[in-house]
Formats: sequence, C-alpha cells, structure tokens
Amino acid sequence: MLSLRGLFSRREGRVEERRDVETVSVTRRTIVLSAILGAASLPLVLVYVLLVLTSFSKDVVTGVELLQGRGVEWTLANWAALLSGQLSTILPGTVTVNIYSAILNTLLIAFGVMVVVVVASTLAGYAFSRMRFPGRRGLMQFIILLHAFPGVALLIGVYMVYLWLLNAFFARAPGLRDAYVIAYTILARASLEIPMSIWLMKGFFDKIPWEVEWSALVDGASRLRVWWEILLPQVKPGIAALAIFSFLAGWEDFVYVYVFTYLGTGGRMFTLATLIEQLVSRIETAELPLAAAAGVLYLLPTLIFFILTQRLLLEAYAGGVKG
Amino acid sequence: MRLRIRPELLVFLAPAFTLIIVFFVAPLILSFYVSFTHLESWDLRDMRLWTAENRTLLYNYYRLFYMLTHDPDMQKVVLTTIAFTFITLVLNVLGGLGLALAAYLIEERLSTLFRSLWLLPRLTPVAVYALLWYYFFLGGPQGTLNALLMALGVIRKPVDWGFASPPLGPWAVIIYVNALVGVSFGMIIFYSALKSVPWEHVIAARVDGASTLQVVRYILIPSLRWHIMFVTVWQLLSLLTTYAHIFLLVDWGLVDRWWSTTWSLYVFMKAFYTGAGETTDQGLAAAAATILVAIGAALGLITLRLMRFHEAMTEPRGEV
Repeated sequence: MLSLRGLFSRREGRVEERRDVETVSVTRRTIVLSAILGAASLPLVLVYVLLVLTSFSKDVVTGVELLQGRGVEWTLANWAALLSGQLSTILPGTVTVNIYSAILNTLLIAFGVMVVVVVASTLAGYAFSRMRFPGRRGLMQFIILLHAFPGVALLIGVYMVYLWLLNAFFARAPGLRDAYVIAYTILARASLEIPMSIWLMKGFFDKIPWEVEWSALVDGASRLRVWWEILLPQVKPGIAALAIFSFLAGWEDFVYVYVFTYLGTGGRMFTLATLIEQLVSRIETAELPLAAAAGVLYLLPTLIFFILTQRLLLEAYAGGVKG
Repeated sequence: MRLRIRPELLVFLAPAFTLIIVFFVAPLILSFYVSFTHLESWDLRDMRLWTAENRTLLYNYYRLFYMLTHDPDMQKVVLTTIAFTFITLVLNVLGGLGLALAAYLIEERLSTLFRSLWLLPRLTPVAVYALLWYYFFLGGPQGTLNALLMALGVIRKPVDWGFASPPLGPWAVIIYVNALVGVSFGMIIFYSALKSVPWEHVIAARVDGASTLQVVRYILIPSLRWHIMFVTVWQLLSLLTTYAHIFLLVDWGLVDRWWSTTWSLYVFMKAFYTGAGETTDQGLAAAAATILVAIGAALGLITLRLMRFHEAMTEPRGEV
C-alpha cells in the first residue's frame, strides 16, 4: 500500500548494485525498450519543436516542408510584433494588448501564489507534524478530501464572493480595482494548492530529528521561534521544491486567470494565458505564428525550471499532482 | 494528559485554514445555495429562490433532469463524459504502467530522460499545451497531422479531425490530448513503487531462469496491486474534474462542441461562457456541479482508504 510520506522519501542508491548482479544484457533490453519509448514520445517532442519553429516562421510549420526540402520563410516578425506589444500591426481589428503588462500580471500571480502557498503550508505543515491537538487526524483527512475536490463546483461560489467584493468596495476605484483583481486571483489560486502543500511540508518536517527542537522547547523557546530558527533551515530543500511547484502552478494556470482577470474585468486585463486564448480565438489561421511566439514566450520559464530542477521535480512531484 | 488548544497553534494554522474556509468551505455552501436559485448572467441582485411561475426549490434539478431525458446535446455530454473518462482512465493507468516498467528496465540515464520528458505536458501552461495540439489537429492543410498524412499519401484531402465522424473524431482528440497529461501521474507513482521492490526477489527469479517478461508478469506487477488501485481511483477523480484543456479546444473551434463537452466542462461553460448568443445560467450550472461534488466526495473517501491514511499519521514526538 501507499503512504504519502513514502512518496517523498529519497531514492536509495540501488543503481550500481543492480548493474553488478544483472544476468541478462541490460544494453539490448535498453535499446529495444528505448526504441519503443522513443516512438511513443515522438509526437510529444514533435509538437514542442514545431511550436518553436512556427514562432520564427511566416506560416505554420508542419515539419513536412522541412523533410521534403521545401523552404520555410523564416522571419522575426512574430517576435517583433509580440515584444513591441503592437499586435494590431499584424492583426486586423482592435487587438491592442500591452504585452509587458500581460507578462507582469502573469509574474505577479505566479509569485503571489508562491509566497502565499509557502507561508501558509510551512506554518500548517509544522503544526501537523509536531503539535498534538484535538481534531488533528480529522483535519488531515479533510485536507486530502479537499485536494480531490471538483474545482469547478467551487468556482461558482468563489466568483460570487469576487463579484460582491468588487461591486461593494472597488467599483469606483480603478487603481485599487486592478490590485484587488490580482490579489483575489492569487489567494483563490493559492488555496487550491494549499491542501497538498500542507501534506508535502508535513512530510519534510516529519523527517527532521526532534532532539534539538525539543531541548530548545525545554529551555523555554516559543514554538514560533523554534519553527523559524531551528526547523526552517533544515527543511530548505522542501521549501525550495514547494516554491517551484507553487510558482509553476500560478504560472501555468488558465481557468482562474481567465475567470477573474479576464472575464471579471470585462476583458480589460490580460495575462499570457488569456492573451493566447484571445489570439487563437480571434485571428485567422494565417496569423497563427504570432500565437506560437506568445506560446514560446509563456513556455520559457517553465522550460528553464524544468531543465534546472528535473530530478527534484521527478522525486517530489508525486504528491502534488493533479489531472 | 489534558489537551488544550494553545494560542500558538492558532498562529500556525490560521493562514492555511482561513484560506480553506474562504476558498473551499464557503464557496461550496454558496454553490449549493445557488443551485436552488434562479441566478442568471451573474445578476447577483436577482437571486430569488422561486419565481411566480416556478414555485419549487428544485427548479434547476428538474430542468437538469428534463434536459438529460430530452435534450440531445445534454445526452451527448453524458455519453462524452462516460467515454472520455473511462477510455482516458484506461490509457492513463496502462500508459503509466508501461512507462514506469520501461523506465525501470532500461539504463538509469535514459530512464531519467524519458521520465522527465513525459512530465513535461503536466508542467506546460494549460494555454500552451492546448495550443500545441491545436496546431497538430488543425483541420486545414496547415495542421501537422494532415500535412504528415497527406505527404505520406494516407489521405488526399485535409481531415477536420475534431469534427470527423462524430463522436469518434472529437473523442479521439480530447482523449489523446488529456491522456498524455495523465500518464505521468501513474508513471511517477509506479516507478517509485517499482524502485522499492526488493531487488533480491528479481535476482532470485533471474537465477531460476525467468525472462524479463516473466519477471514483469509475476514479480513486478503483483507488487504494484495497491498502487494500481490508488492511481485508478485518483485518476478517475481527476478526469471527472478536469476541463481546462478541453475548454480551450472547444473555445477555439477545434472540436465539436457537444461531442467534446464533459460534465465538468458543461458546468464551467454554463456558469461562465458567453459565446455567440449564449447566456450564462448559474442556477443550472450549480445544480450540475452538486452532482459532480457528490461523486467526487464518494471517490475521495475511497482514495482515503486506499492511501492507508493512518500510516502517514505518526503521532508527534516532540511534544512538551
């Protein structure tokens, strides 16, 4: 059977040992299985490569023209249009989007989600790992149920509260209104990540020996001080993993930014996700390369994190996934 | 020993539980309440529980039931939900198992490469991921799949995949796109479980002359029994509640609307989507959501049992 804690335990160094005692050629098996895996992965790799190529091309790149040796009309026009924010030069009609504010909004939301998730779940994770209180088990079970909850059912209620507050306090203050929209999006999106993050952090705290902490408590240190000065430095890798996950969760989100920042403001505010949604739903097929450029731009931070933290992600992602 | 709630405990729990109450508990109650009202187009000033014509609290539920029995679009939604959920589920679990086994059996460095690669769809922003497959399944000659098949001579004219021989075309597209995201969950869980299978068992079988296939069949897979059950239930739950990718494909007109709309997407679009001449109807959406919540809660409880919750809940030791 499976325990959540087990999912986060470090892999043992079994690799070398395996090779020594293996009696069947690993090489042949590796070649055969890799060929199968490679074939299955091909479409996956292909679509990412084609997205990047299309962003530098006048037309959508299908790969066939490259194989057949026909030329592709390479151009930087998509990137130039995207980065100058002058989408209207390429697009017919009234699409004038400030690309930098879209990037800024996306970044703000991702950072906000990261901060809220890290603070709330390192605090709560500590309490669940180290403190004894009535209802502890029940609350932890409740938290798992929340993680499994149909988000769309919540969204109706969350949007109602959003509208109430918007109409009651921010309808007449445009400057404050934008800040409110971003803040609400951050809190709502971060909440989705909280249940699993509490479990993740609890797992990390569980692995820290308690002797030092215990002696500090006996000496009269407060729980908060112990948490801050003794525990947090020891769970730094956990906090780093959590920070990356929650940043990416805020960064990749579509539904929440679409509902709160796009629909909720009547289409005034953009993030990279809603920008792409609008680019594709509004333009003719001939302008699809522009959407590809926006897509590559949006994908970049994810790819960078992905390449830098592959191992960490593979090991710790198990508990924090959905979908 | 007497237990009491200390103020410092509240400090630790307050941020997380404030968020949980505001963004989980309260919205759930609100959504349930909305399912009895006539809320339409987000006109919050008009949230009557009943009107002159309809003097029943269960108005939305009656409507939902009526649509289920009379509205062909709604029947498509139900069929799509069932087909999508079960086919994707099978592909996810088997695909995850296949990937995990293959990754376990090949050399470490290649294994990491493939496992990372298959994690990519999950990390890719929803809008970008949908865009990738939008290009791939695009109906015109610019669509990658069309261009490839035409170059190979398999088809003469471009095929509009998302609308081809409904429901098969649209189903194939949404299932393929979502299955690729889902397999990584099973892959990660199964792979870490395989890593903890005692290596001596494999060696013993090897010494007795077992082939790789026999090792997989008689040692590795039996040791994954519980993990397979857990992944199946968890993925079932996830598939019932995922809709973001499909929403974009429907929104962009890549796939047939009703042959691609799953139950949760139906809830989302009824509540928020104002396409051509379409108005939103939160009462109906909330009623449909209530049904989803009931199924979700049941599956969640099953998952809880499978996770062997109590093992993960060791008592705190550093208590003073």
